[in-house]
Amino acid sequence: MDAELLSDTFVDLADTMVADFDVIDFLHMLTDRSVRLLSASAAGVLLADPRGQLRVAAASSDAAGLVELFQIQNDQGPCLDCFRSGQPVTAAGLAGPDQRWPRFAAAATQAGFGAVHALPMRLRKQVIGALNLFSADPGRFGAADLRIGQALADVATIGLLQERNVRRAETLAEQLQAALNSRVVIEQAKGKMAERLGLDMDRAFALLRDQARNTNQRLTDVARHVIDSPTADFPAPPHGQARLGGEVAPGG
Amino acid sequence: MICVTDPVCEQLTELQLTLGEGPCGDVLSSAAPVLAADLGDEQSTRRWPVFAAQACLLGAGAVFAFPLTIGAIRAGVMGLYRGSPGPLPAGCLGDALILADMATVLLLDGLGNGADGQGADGSAATGPVVDGQSPDLAVHRAEIDQATGMLTVQLGVPVAEAFARLRAYAYAHDRRLADVASDIVGRRLRLQGDPGRDGGP
Repeated sequence: MDAELLSDTFVDLADTMVADFDVIDFLHMLTDRSVRLLSASAAGVLLADPRGQLRVAAASSDAAGLVELFQIQNDQGPCLDCFRSGQPVTAAGLAGPDQRWPRFAAAATQAGFGAVHALPMRLRKQVIGALNLFSADPGRFGAADLRIGQALADVATIGLLQERNVRRAETLAEQLQAALNSRVVIEQAKGKMAERLGLDMDRAFALLRDQARNTNQRLTDVARHVIDSPTADFPAPPHGQARLGGEVAPGG
Repeated sequence: MICVTDPVCEQLTELQLTLGEGPCGDVLSSAAPVLAADLGDEQSTRRWPVFAAQACLLGAGAVFAFPLTIGAIRAGVMGLYRGSPGPLPAGCLGDALILADMATVLLLDGLGNGADGQGADGSAATGPVVDGQSPDLAVHRAEIDQATGMLTVQLGVPVAEAFARLRAYAYAHDRRLADVASDIVGRRLRLQGDPGRDGGP
């Protein structure tokens, strides 16, 4: 465990009152940091849509297998069970026979994952989603790692709900829908960037995020601008930087 | 304003247009639902000082407004009102969102239908329904959104039309929207810029 990165992460996650705060950018930081802090291979945040589906709000990668794993969990999987029960759910060994979630386990194994932890995102009694942590190797996280993972999920829940004191159920619903729609705007913009510049989706996302950081704009605003602008207005990708991602705090 | 169900609804809509304030306008700027369960409470009266009071006089106790949006695509706003204050009952929020999704898709279908020569008589309501399903955006895949973005470049059209063309293609080829989107994202399928050419072989 990198103690310095851990404390930096909590400081960064608490910094949600800034003018250019963007909820999807924030959740992406959470998944990136979860991967690094907890030695996970991949991470994702799923939110409950009142339409009756779990939807991906952020994922540490656009790898096809990972996306599929999130989709399957609308039918079965640790994340769905975690969401329904409000309790952490672990699948420590996804290979082999007699799996609790056969379809999910098969897809996870196929995608190269041996274990998954799902941690609930709770606001008082309501579960609004879950943080999913995938590992390449089978086995459980230690108790300390799980506590940190849950703390990250808790902080993310607070950050997601931009009003600190969400008393009205309506406000929660409004903000969750706004977050989910932001996700869609970003996916549309990723597609346009990817097609225009010949990039894969991960790289298109990194480019969007870099542009938001470099210009102090909200990620969603940058994405909206991209999708609304004539195609010819696109910036060329900064040379060799798109993949680095501006995630590491300067001087950290 | 395209359609209203009763005179109160019509008056509420006109009121918001006249005043330039109200839940429907806020929906347009935030791209999120606005759920005002009690137009007489402090939050509503602070948010819409004139509209809230006038709406109560018209007989509305609660207003729920939903964006007809898919990401950056904005097709309009759906407003619901109720005579007495109170939140949407449990489960109704999901239903309202699904109705809003369907309304969004039906509004957008007019954009894509030109490619297939259908819908000239306004028959879009029975338009692209793949596998007997309603246009179920609830089962949402990021690939559909990514493919929509890619089509804005391939077809050189705005995002709303790109989405309509994606659906029109799926319908014309009797394929699931998610599968067509997956092929586009996987770069196994490109749609042509000429509207006459992607409607069928």
